[in-house]
Amino acid sequence: MNPKLIRELQNLLGRDAVLSAREDLLLYEYDGSVESARPDCVVFPSSTRDVSEIMRLAKRFETPLVGRGAGTGLSGGALPRAGGIVAVFARMNRILEIDAESRRAVVQPGVVNLDITRAVAHLGLYFAPDPSSQKSCTIGGNVSENAGGPHTLAYGVTTNHVTGLEIVMPEDGRVVRIGGKSAEPLGYDLAGLMVGSEGTLAMVTEITVRLSRAPEAVKTLLAVYDAVDDATESVVEITRRGITPAACEMLDGWTLRTVEDFVHAGFPRDCAAVLLLEVEGLLEAVDEQAAEISEVCRARGAREVRVARDAHERDLLWKGRKNAFGAIGRLSPSYYVLDGVIPRTRLPETLRRIEEIGRASGFRIGNIFHAGDGNLHPLILFDPRHPGEFERVVAAARAIIEHCIAMGGALTGEHGVGMEKNELMPLMFTPEDLTLMGRVRAAFNSDGLLNPQKMLPLGKGCGELRVLPQSVGSALPA
Amino acid sequence: MNQNPSGTQVARLEQLLGGARTITDSASLAAYEIDGMRPAAAVRAADAAEVAELVRLAAAEGLAVIPCSGRSKLAVGGVPARYDVALDLSTLNRVISYDPGDLTLSVEPGAQLEDLQRELGRHGQFLPLEVAFSERATVGGAIATNAYSPLRTHFGSARDFVLGMEFVTGLGEIAKSGGRVVKNVTGYDLHKLLIGSLGTLAVITRVHFRTFPRPAERRVFTAEFGTARAALEFCSEVAASALEPWALELLDPGAAEISRLAAQSGGDARGWRVVIAAAGSAAVVERHARDLERMAREAGAARVEAWTGAEAARCLRAIREFARLVLERAPGATIIRIALLPTSSAALAERIAGIADSHSLDAALAIGAAGSVGTGYVALWPRSEKRAEASGTSAVAASASSADAATDDETASLAAAVKEVLESAVSDGGAARGFVEWCPTALKRRIPLWGEAREDFVLMQRVKQIFDPRGVLAPGRYCGEL
Repeated sequence: MNPKLIRELQNLLGRDAVLSAREDLLLYEYDGSVESARPDCVVFPSSTRDVSEIMRLAKRFETPLVGRGAGTGLSGGALPRAGGIVAVFARMNRILEIDAESRRAVVQPGVVNLDITRAVAHLGLYFAPDPSSQKSCTIGGNVSENAGGPHTLAYGVTTNHVTGLEIVMPEDGRVVRIGGKSAEPLGYDLAGLMVGSEGTLAMVTEITVRLSRAPEAVKTLLAVYDAVDDATESVVEITRRGITPAACEMLDGWTLRTVEDFVHAGFPRDCAAVLLLEVEGLLEAVDEQAAEISEVCRARGAREVRVARDAHERDLLWKGRKNAFGAIGRLSPSYYVLDGVIPRTRLPETLRRIEEIGRASGFRIGNIFHAGDGNLHPLILFDPRHPGEFERVVAAARAIIEHCIAMGGALTGEHGVGMEKNELMPLMFTPEDLTLMGRVRAAFNSDGLLNPQKMLPLGKGCGELRVLPQSVGSALPA
Repeated sequence: MNQNPSGTQVARLEQLLGGARTITDSASLAAYEIDGMRPAAAVRAADAAEVAELVRLAAAEGLAVIPCSGRSKLAVGGVPARYDVALDLSTLNRVISYDPGDLTLSVEPGAQLEDLQRELGRHGQFLPLEVAFSERATVGGAIATNAYSPLRTHFGSARDFVLGMEFVTGLGEIAKSGGRVVKNVTGYDLHKLLIGSLGTLAVITRVHFRTFPRPAERRVFTAEFGTARAALEFCSEVAASALEPWALELLDPGAAEISRLAAQSGGDARGWRVVIAAAGSAAVVERHARDLERMAREAGAARVEAWTGAEAARCLRAIREFARLVLERAPGATIIRIALLPTSSAALAERIAGIADSHSLDAALAIGAAGSVGTGYVALWPRSEKRAEASGTSAVAASASSADAATDDETASLAAAVKEVLESAVSDGGAARGFVEWCPTALKRRIPLWGEAREDFVLMQRVKQIFDPRGVLAPGRYCGEL
């Protein structure tokens, strides 16, 4: 990287806010995905003004620029695929305002997702989107990827909880505020466009989020099955009856045993699948819905339906769910978490298909996912030290994603496209769709310096920076 | 101003779509008038491919196209910069797929909302889009105007339950975004830009919705208060409680009269009224009844009533049809739609009567999701305006013609009052977030309907450039005359 750029960045931010030594950069070449890409330089802005100046420097030196929160993303969204500068938002982590009456908080992008809830819990409020990584992931990353989580089934994903943004434009570092505390857009819904744009249109420096009222009552149920089909059929029936649980998660038997060995949550070790269900709201509604869900699960073959007796039991069940990936990490040198969506009624056949693909490819595929909204997370275990294995994993993953699309589903439900699936976009979109999306990116990010080579297929982007991706070898986790 | 298309251009349209689907006689075209402007032709397209061909032809010939279907909200938006062709999508009205088990629906823009709700109702489901002009309103119009629905309090607006769209851009490209599944973050959410864009970016050809289960029971509660302050305090308390009302509307005395709610429930004509819809199981509705009754009494309500069946439906209709009822009462009314925070709601409620008085206007105020972040509707009309014949569907046409009747003085008072209303409802960021949804053409020419341009206007211009660089689609109708 141009040493003059590094010097200018140091002058702007101070020496302690700029990393360029190789050993320092190593920390930033991964995120939660199986990809990697090394930045040439990492900077830590402290203010919107800093971000604006960094943007101007990137433009002047024609250097790619990528935003990064906690680096927990699962599609390579925060990886600098074409090198350049990574701007880490760790120092922009203040909650600027809490407006309890309007149920809004104004926060900086580096605020950790769960810290928003912690800051407003005493007011009986919380921030609804709850990705599994919520203890570490940041709201800036959530906004970029339009993150989800188990409870988005009833409450929607990040985009449904963001009403305003302050953004910095790539062409000249200009700061623009879009939306506000109101949910009613005045003019085109630019906030709706920005959320989920994967950091390819502008850099977000401030976010106005909607806060939800904590429910009066919560009930958490665990339905235990001896056959996967019975579990998936239960989900179909719950959906069909118009019951909307706050969350409806499924874990298959193998995943469950692995999790249980790790967290000791009291999950049964001898079942084929469990559904972890939660209902929230008024006492009356919660009681009725819990009863109806139990009835459906039993009628569909659940051998047991447990109801968490208190907050401790509930937390334990959720701890199992939220730490599942960590538990599996203890067993396998590496794993690939997929993210695909199907119409909910197609769950039974889809899980059977995933099992077939696992058998045919010789990989263990675990299933732990948001069953209620058809958002699958097949988890393929593999060993990157075996030559050719990663390529076979990618092929198996592709077969699963192709099945999702064939069912009328989508490429990604919450992890984003990033550099993981940008070449799969034509499975879902026509050349005309992609051309239009390319025009959108070019109109906001005309030099293609902001998060290049993400979301759209390479060679499709107007104004896309033409830099070859790093070699496949370096994309493998060590 | 409006350079009429030549005979050759009209002939080309006829060639493209066939004579039967090209309307050129002036009597039929009157129904497509906007702000006194009549298009040279109205055309009906059978599918997205035809829409695309038509838009490409229009782009090549330099014709301006305004999409429409039920035509109940054509008066919403700025005076068209040009208007050559009305693209009537009312025959593009098929349900493409409906999967009740999955609670998803794909439908064409011309589908009438009432028909659709009936179809969904057969499967115990519905769409939370209960908008004004219900018997004419279509999916396309409700989405393109981001029409207000009182159920927003609980279900959010279209952006929260539209899963994706297919559309034709101003360049005649057939494109889509989003998908048909309930959770999806693949690609840019372009369809969100189309919601409320008044057809200025693309012609919507298909909308994918999430549907919702119908509740076992619905009940409506009305509470009457002597002052705006007491009514708003009650609303705030309900909003802060564990209750989950589907609709929570505050009506000032003017709105209560216009919606005939005052007549339905009796009571003091000067009272402020809160209308709350509760839905769910019998036990849930009972719980609402118990808590609301108690909270209303404690807040000093003069009367609290519960309505079921046809009477409950009438209450809900009154709030969803607010704009239409105002326009029936006063065809030349100006109706402002404002995003309100709890603090700005209080300020507006307190000042509205004074503002109207000082300009010799009558006023009506309705606030949806009152007590939290809500939507306010302020209607203003000259006190001198005669009561219109209740004529239902002709309200829009009447509104257009009465525009000519308004005097310059009246228009000036309206302009001044609109400014004051917006100033009294300052929201975050130091300005009101509101726009004039309905008003006479004379006022449209006098004030910027969306207020002064904001810093994000440059981005909106960019969006318009992406979708419709040649200015084919509804030019001049949107925010900042985009």
